[in-house]
Amino acid sequence: MAALKLLLVDDEAEFLEPTAARLARRQVACTTVEGGAAALAALAKERFDCAVVDVKMPGMDGLELLRHIRGEYPEVAVVLLTGHASVELGVQGIDLGAFEYLMKPVDLDELLDTARRAAAHKALG
Amino acid sequence: MPDPGPNPYLRLRRQMFFGLLTTGLVPLVAMGVAGFVANRDSVEQRTRAGLEAMIKNRKVTVELFLEQTLRQLEILSAHGVAELSDPVTLAKLRDYARREHGALLDLGLIDDHGRHVAYAGPYDLMQVNYRNEAWFQQVMLHGQYQSDVFLGFRRFPHLVIAVKKPEAGHDFILRATVDSDLLSALVREGGLESGADVFILNRAAEYQTSYLDKHKLMARADTDAIPRHSGTRLVEVRRGQCREIMATSWLRGEQWVLVARQELPGVSALVFAHPAVPAVFLLGILLVPILAYLIARHRFRQVRSLESERAALYASVSQTQKMATIGRMAASIAHEINNPLAIIHAQVGALADSLEDVDLPHSQDLRQRIQKIEAQVERGRKVTHRLLGFSRRVGPDAESIDVAAALDETVGFLEKEVEAEHIGIVRQYDLNAPIVRSSLAQMQQVFLNLINNAVDSVNEVDRKGEIRLSIYARHDGVEVRIADNGAGIAPHNLGRLFEPFFSTKAGKDDHTGLGLSICQEIMRGLGGRITVESTQGVGTTFALRFPLDIESDRGDATTPPERSS
Repeated sequence: MAALKLLLVDDEAEFLEPTAARLARRQVACTTVEGGAAALAALAKERFDCAVVDVKMPGMDGLELLRHIRGEYPEVAVVLLTGHASVELGVQGIDLGAFEYLMKPVDLDELLDTARRAAAHKALG
Repeated sequence: MPDPGPNPYLRLRRQMFFGLLTTGLVPLVAMGVAGFVANRDSVEQRTRAGLEAMIKNRKVTVELFLEQTLRQLEILSAHGVAELSDPVTLAKLRDYARREHGALLDLGLIDDHGRHVAYAGPYDLMQVNYRNEAWFQQVMLHGQYQSDVFLGFRRFPHLVIAVKKPEAGHDFILRATVDSDLLSALVREGGLESGADVFILNRAAEYQTSYLDKHKLMARADTDAIPRHSGTRLVEVRRGQCREIMATSWLRGEQWVLVARQELPGVSALVFAHPAVPAVFLLGILLVPILAYLIARHRFRQVRSLESERAALYASVSQTQKMATIGRMAASIAHEINNPLAIIHAQVGALADSLEDVDLPHSQDLRQRIQKIEAQVERGRKVTHRLLGFSRRVGPDAESIDVAAALDETVGFLEKEVEAEHIGIVRQYDLNAPIVRSSLAQMQQVFLNLINNAVDSVNEVDRKGEIRLSIYARHDGVEVRIADNGAGIAPHNLGRLFEPFFSTKAGKDDHTGLGLSICQEIMRGLGGRITVESTQGVGTTFALRFPLDIESDRGDATTPPERSS
């Protein structure tokens, strides 16, 4: 399997840093950005297999970022991540084209597994 | 929900009753009064007509009698004075007249000096001189005469008729006494209706006819003198409590007046003339309040039942709204906690990773401590996920539900209370119980209410509390039984258990008496039902039946993927 290239988007640096470190230990190339705008900038520079996006962020929120990715980088799979869960939000995210919907705090292995499946699904699709 | 109190209800009921009473009684009484007045008028009309007919008839009879009597005397006076002067002949003539007409009691021939020439009759009058009597002068002047009833020399009430008989240059008078009893009998001939009276008065309103001891001859009648008038006159007079119609008609010569009176029936006589009428009226008067009472009671119960339903619905809606609000709050709190939990989780994960690279003297101990932190993060996560799960399920949408899982989750909410009170939870689940489609939030609200009640109930008794939860597969759904070994419910309270605002938990601040009525409403809404069995001192069992699929026309079968733990 080709090396997975992951974009991790969250407004909490305290969450991004240790998560990225842990993924790096597992040989997963991971770029972290704080916020939707920074994510779009990163996507413009580099190609990613999967973006893991926090739903609730100041400025551009996760769902808006999802719309941008679907429109501008359709080859990038999206997994939503949030501390807030509701049926409406989940349905909305899936309707907008997210592959999955995970709740914080998420187990690292589950996150990685989901991201891999999302990327594989996109590659097949 | 403000308590409306019993008074507005009672007032409403009273208003209904009096409203119906008035509606019923007013037309009944109005018809009764109108009927009474019409009947009274008709009776009066008949009385007037009857009196008028009678007085005309009697007038003819009496006038005929008096005329015949006078005519007879005139015929007798055709005999010569010589004949009439002979007492034997006079007696024969008198006897003949009595046989013919019967009215003449005696017969006398009087000369122009007022002395009896001859007399035939029962009295001794030969020595009497009439020269100074008024009637004597009248006969001499007018040729004939009819007296009122008087006592005269005979000391006996009678009336006198006399005719003048001029012969041989002298004026004689043939005079007869008429039996006034005959006149009295004639006036009342053929009998009278009850309350009727008929008699003859003279100009001074003195009786000229007698009847038992009611009318005494020559006594003054209890009426004013009757003014002279022609034809028949009808007047209404009041005598004491009675009203009567009086008909008067002056007899020929206007010396006597014929009077007929008829009492009008009094109020009670009119009312009871036809006993069926007042009986029906009275029955109506009695029935109207009874019917008014029954209808008011029925309507009142309907109103109160509607009011109760409305209150239950309101309570149910407000409860649902409350749960939704709690759900939204819970979701927002969970979110705020989940983010720091995620950071702790990530940081501790990174720390654990780092420990793998270095060999510290206490790395084993550190790893154990990190695991403990991770376990606590996991615990926190479970709590927030459960809160989020709870909030997410607030809503009427049907979903597929494993009843056993739903029941266990609800018990989880009450874990602390159950543990604190050392209550034993016994589960008896049929593993073949089918998945049902229903509203999880509403199903769990019912479970929560019933388990809460069970906890309260077992806390009331001294023995160790036990709550038994059973699930049974039924052909048309799932049955859940929630049984406690608490105080039980008194049989007389059992029937009212599901009524809104009914409570056996006296003195509890937060107790509204709505819990079970909400449960019943919810079960109805879910197409199921709730029943209760209880033995005082032994315990209470609530049985819930859920259908396989909620009877719903909401066609949205889209169930979002299950994502929470």
